[in-house]
Amino acid sequence: MNINTHTNIKEAKEAESCTVPAYVCLENISLTLSEKSILKEVSFSLPATGISSLIGPSGAGKSSLLRCLTNLYGNWQGVISVAGVNTHSWLGGEDALRRHIGLIAQKPSVFPASIHDNVIFGLSRKERKQDQSLRIEQCLKQAALWNEVKDRLHEAANTLSVGQQQRLCMARALALEPKVLLLDEPTASLDPHSKQLIEASLHDLAKEMPSLCVTHDLEQAQRLQGQIIFMCDGKIIETATVNDFFQSPKRLETREFLRWSVCDCD
Amino acid sequence: MLILLWFLWDASSAYWYDFGISQLWASEWYPYESLYGLLPAIIGTAWAMIIAMLIAVPCGLAAAIVSSEILPVSWQGWLRLGMEMLAGIPSVVYGLIGLWVLLPWLQNTLDLLTGHNLLAAGMILSLMILPTMMVMSQDALRLIPIEQREAAMNMGMNWNQRLMRILLPQAWPGIRSGILLGLGRALGETMAVMLVVGSLDRVPDPIYNILEPAQTLTSRIGREMGEAAFGSMHFSALMACGLVLAVTAICLSLLAQRKPREFAS
Repeated sequence: MNINTHTNIKEAKEAESCTVPAYVCLENISLTLSEKSILKEVSFSLPATGISSLIGPSGAGKSSLLRCLTNLYGNWQGVISVAGVNTHSWLGGEDALRRHIGLIAQKPSVFPASIHDNVIFGLSRKERKQDQSLRIEQCLKQAALWNEVKDRLHEAANTLSVGQQQRLCMARALALEPKVLLLDEPTASLDPHSKQLIEASLHDLAKEMPSLCVTHDLEQAQRLQGQIIFMCDGKIIETATVNDFFQSPKRLETREFLRWSVCDCD
Repeated sequence: MLILLWFLWDASSAYWYDFGISQLWASEWYPYESLYGLLPAIIGTAWAMIIAMLIAVPCGLAAAIVSSEILPVSWQGWLRLGMEMLAGIPSVVYGLIGLWVLLPWLQNTLDLLTGHNLLAAGMILSLMILPTMMVMSQDALRLIPIEQREAAMNMGMNWNQRLMRILLPQAWPGIRSGILLGLGRALGETMAVMLVVGSLDRVPDPIYNILEPAQTLTSRIGREMGEAAFGSMHFSALMACGLVLAVTAICLSLLAQRKPREFAS
């Protein structure tokens, strides 16, 4: 346990937290951008392991919520705690927080470097100078990309297909050994095979860390299992397990959404 | 371009045939004694460009970084407008400002006999090429997709790391073009330099003494062309100065146009 983690655990006592054993906890998160209310008192928690799917129509505030979690938006109100520590008082600031929470964006963005260098891009200079072959192999395997690139690690990353680039971004995030994984529609523009590979690796990763996956694809949310968080118009409408959510939704808005893929929650 | 070079070659051919290429490193320029060494002006030009770049590159780059990465969007437009207006001011105006402000300041501050020197020429040139440097660097930084910045932020990279590892390497081709175009402008600038450089045809002694009056290729052409009889050897020697300038400027343009090397393993 490093000093950072130790101090964060100490700080945990001071932070407002959700019920144990939640690892990530959001309480009354509100966000206003350009005088428009994007998130309205959103509260939910992620358990220490397992996948949660965040679903909802376009404009519901799903991606904004992920950006609040990593402080890419800094002007949100409420309390977000990770491992019991309020993210506003995270030791090392927001950069350290972002290393703790791996966020994989919807659009893959590889750096103009080799596949090998992309995976270790976020490591410190000292770490990059050391032999990282094992870590690279492990991360690429976790991202289900190893078999496709193991013979061309030193080729440019932008020669990969979009699906492969997305998995490379996942490997790059995993190389930093995050404790939480956030994915913003990671398979939105991918072919079925790449989608299948990413979902499989997500299942494996979720055994070790909490994962929150934003998706439009209800079938994908079913395949991912775990918890479903349904958002509409900046509010959480319903949170349930996959079976409860799809078989016996409690809210009228949820039933409407499942039936017509629209939500009128005003 | 080839036609232009041919005209310059044709006009200066008498000089090259009579004196040869060795005049490029001959240090005496006394037209009345038929001495036409180009070295003092070449060294003067080189020093003026070096000084200008030493000032303009870091300042232009810093201004571009502040403008595109730190200032609010509403300020960026104003800064850019200011820079574009600076770029549009005639060079003679810079020369006049140099005469009025810079030369007395240099003379008093450094306790010199005269403020006319290579340092003054380099400083005025740096002011003139700063807008080019800044605007091109700013454009290069703006072209980097926002996703690259966010990907770096999501990996916990701090501002310095993002700048040094993502932004500057990716913007480098544009920044390099800005530097080379700025060099091209500095190389060709005549009026402002002529007003402040001192126009003394002598190799600085020692060669790194930038506080002496000196001469550049452009200021020599500008100052002496009116005195040289059309078709004379003096005229031909001044055309040779023009040819040296044109060849150097073409080389710089070619360097600026060169495509950045694609990523290779």
